[in-house]
Amino acid sequence: MTQQEIPTLRSQLLVLAGLLMLLALSASLSRVPLGWWVLVITASVAVSQALLVMVVFMRLKSAHPALRMIAILAFAWPLILVALTLGDYFTRSLLHAALH
Amino acid sequence: MNASMPAAAVQQQFDDAPQQKEAAMLGMWAFIATEVLFFGVLFAAYVICRWRFQLAFVEGSSHLDFPMGTAETAILLTSGCLSAIALRQIQLNKARQSAVLLLAASLLGVAFLVLHGMEYHDEFKEGLIPGIRYVEKGPSAHEMELFFALYYVTTGFHSLHVLIGVVLLLIMALRTWRGSFCAPYHTPIEITGLYWSLVDIVWIFVYPAFYLVGSAG
Repeated sequence: MTQQEIPTLRSQLLVLAGLLMLLALSASLSRVPLGWWVLVITASVAVSQALLVMVVFMRLKSAHPALRMIAILAFAWPLILVALTLGDYFTRSLLHAALH
Repeated sequence: MNASMPAAAVQQQFDDAPQQKEAAMLGMWAFIATEVLFFGVLFAAYVICRWRFQLAFVEGSSHLDFPMGTAETAILLTSGCLSAIALRQIQLNKARQSAVLLLAASLLGVAFLVLHGMEYHDEFKEGLIPGIRYVEKGPSAHEMELFFALYYVTTGFHSLHVLIGVVLLLIMALRTWRGSFCAPYHTPIEITGLYWSLVDIVWIFVYPAFYLVGSAG
């Protein structure tokens, strides 16, 4: 495994500033009556924030490829879980209609 | 092994310090994967209920303390940044600065727990806790119970993780101050930082899921 590089203090503080700005954006837009767009915006902001934390604070940017793969899989499994659960949920009525 | 590394730092089952660190990092990421799955199940339940009971979730969310939740998020994000900088400082052999940063990160964790405890207290007074004190009436009251049940289970387990993280950060701060870690050997600080970042990430998704449902419907 390669020796990790030491990030600059400036980069760490810039990421914190970015995270807080994204928080402000998400919080303020959630108060605007945008309907389902609120869900899209706040979810996108959350994913962006999580990626920033993983890449910079958890140092995946300079981590061994094996660790990056585990990180990707760690977050991919719940997505598969949600997708398959929703798939089951949404197709129940279709299956029910087809069988009766 | 590096000459400046504590002799007891490398356990006998490892050839050298880099191999031990690789094993520790791999183990920690495997642990993080299991934690993500644990919270993933709760989020899967949330997605189903959110889809099924849209209006009840919007109404339930309006009962939560939005400014408090936002402040808690800012506190956790700042705390995560401090623990990341603490790792940087120990890599630069600035142990005292690292210890102070770890202490500050843990104190912000305590602040998060205090604020969240205050929220729980207010929600208890308002009668929003299903099975303990729930006084909501109206057409969506029963469905809102699902929202609050998910909210308490998710935030309760998250708070438990924050508490564990605070204890770990305090232990790391104390050990760093006492000189247990240095630039060549700081794996426990790195591992603790990974755990603390996980706690951050979970909250990053909890916050919009429960506090920012707002006008979405």
